[in-house]
Amino acid sequence: MEIDEHIGCAMSGLTADARTLVEHGRVETQNHRFSYNEPMSVESTTQALCDLALRFGEGDEESMSRPFGVSLLIAGHDDNGPCLYHTDPSGTFWQCNAKAIGSGSEGADTALQEHYDLNMTLEEAETLALSTLKQVMEEKVTSSNVDIAKVAPTYHLYTPQEVEAVIQRL
Amino acid sequence: MSMVFAPCLTETTAPTTHAQPAWSPYDNNGGTCVAIAGEDYCVIAADTRMSTGFSILIRNYSKIHQITEKSVLASSGFQADIRALQKNLDARHQIYQHQHNKQMSCPAMAQLLSNTLYYKRFFPYYAFNVLGGLDNEGRGCVYSYDAVGSYERSGYSSQGTGMQLIMPVLDNQLKSASPLVLPLQKSTTPLSEFEAVDLVKDTFASAAERDIYTGDAVEIVIINREGVRRELMDLKRD
Repeated sequence: MEIDEHIGCAMSGLTADARTLVEHGRVETQNHRFSYNEPMSVESTTQALCDLALRFGEGDEESMSRPFGVSLLIAGHDDNGPCLYHTDPSGTFWQCNAKAIGSGSEGADTALQEHYDLNMTLEEAETLALSTLKQVMEEKVTSSNVDIAKVAPTYHLYTPQEVEAVIQRL
Repeated sequence: MSMVFAPCLTETTAPTTHAQPAWSPYDNNGGTCVAIAGEDYCVIAADTRMSTGFSILIRNYSKIHQITEKSVLASSGFQADIRALQKNLDARHQIYQHQHNKQMSCPAMAQLLSNTLYYKRFFPYYAFNVLGGLDNEGRGCVYSYDAVGSYERSGYSSQGTGMQLIMPVLDNQLKSASPLVLPLQKSTTPLSEFEAVDLVKDTFASAAERDIYTGDAVEIVIINREGVRRELMDLKRD
């Protein structure tokens, strides 16, 4: 989902909880633009989401009695270039070059470790991401059961045609 | 059957005058501020006289405040409000540095100042501000404000009691294309840093002649890629 023009995120876990976090991220980034007339840095946005995860929500009325059961991958582009952060329900976040989350994440992480290279082109990254997903998915990868988004340098969710183009290259 | 829907104009109420308040929360301490933006520098200047009514309170009071590494605020008006505004911005900048691990850029501070002023829309800071500094690309920028936060970036500006005397001179010497003209022209002047400082000194000397609230000395702050430098020039003390 898109958080701001320059930040997107992917979720895994109780995805209903993720919507609250993404909404909070959207509000924080827009507040920042309003106050400072500049895009919020990806790290600060991730920090804002983790602050919420830590408190189980905001205020007396809206706070939950359990943690947010969701991990997020926050991808964005700011003054420091493109970057990726991984958050978990504890409110900790790590910066990564490549990461997989979800039920097949262990196998996928290993595959990413083997094939990831810092100097990959966008096309190579697309192919790597989808082929890694293919390995851990039980069903066949088609343009209707897979979503791809990129932040380069603005957020863009791929159309089914664009997804199909990447599948062809696998 | 004709229906006339004209409002009744025959009744008139005697105009009531608002009772004059015995006490005003505001005072004008006078003074003038000027800023000029260059290709890679910014000059911000203000006189050092603080007055009240027809008296001088202080002859060497600084109206210039450096908020971040790259932005300097000069304000004339009610100095108590201005001091409170400066402290407010300083605190906000500290928090920003803690949260985002970097200094605020001048355009970001410009927006913050605007929002801070508008926040008190119905009991304003009696402050007429000029914010000067270097933007993210290292080019000089000048932002001028009204008391409630309306702002615009330009190549030069002046505010305060001497503004009416100084602004036409700056227009004559520095006028660049209007910011409303498209395509947008760069809002910086082709003056060298030395020429800009000289121009500022001349304009203040002229303003001090006729504006009773401007005089004593002019404090000039110059920001460029090397850092921040101050100069002080004496003005007429009458």
